[in-house]
Amino acid sequence: MTSRQSKEKHTLFLLTVGLSAWLIPGAGYLLLKKKKHALIIFVTITLTFCIGLYVSSIGVINFKQAKPWYVAQMMNSPIVAAVGHLAAEGDYPVYGRPNEIGQIYTSITGLLNLLCIVNAVYLAHLRKTETA
Amino acid sequence: MSIINALVTATFNTPEKIATNPQSILWLLPLVAAIAIVYKTTKLPEIKVASFLKETVVLFGSIVIFMFVTAFTLCVLAWLITE
Repeated sequence: MTSRQSKEKHTLFLLTVGLSAWLIPGAGYLLLKKKKHALIIFVTITLTFCIGLYVSSIGVINFKQAKPWYVAQMMNSPIVAAVGHLAAEGDYPVYGRPNEIGQIYTSITGLLNLLCIVNAVYLAHLRKTETA
Repeated sequence: MSIINALVTATFNTPEKIATNPQSILWLLPLVAAIAIVYKTTKLPEIKVASFLKETVVLFGSIVIFMFVTAFTLCVLAWLITE
């Protein structure tokens, strides 16, 4: 395998790790064969996100009136976009403290998942440089 | 099955009733726990139950204590300004 092919393969692997980590929280670590890390991240992020939705309803995912929060929420998974569209089609008003708590929970989990994505990609990159 | 589905859907369709009182601050605890768990998972190269739990609890405690101290300082400042 030439150096260029190897580099392309490595870039593709990094992209796969990053994308899968975004699609399913913890999946990036699973690709790196870190099962415990993957399980802990998946359970913690999914559970915390669900607590946020439970407290405030799916109305908290609002891409029309709460765009900055929505950007952070989208870091959880692209599934959030589907939930956002579902919420936009229906009537799910949420105000006050439940709205605040729901927004904070769902957005913080998004940012935590972003941390996991970046870390998984970094670890994948380190593996290549260590073996080279 | 449809009743279970309806109940699960209803759970996520209606917001909970949370009063604006000091007790509602306790909602920060599960979030801090999640932050501590995920952060420590990303930092530890290998997960061993005892060390993972210890490090997570230490981080959880540090965040809670720091937030408590910050809140207390802000309360004192507000009291000094308004009195």
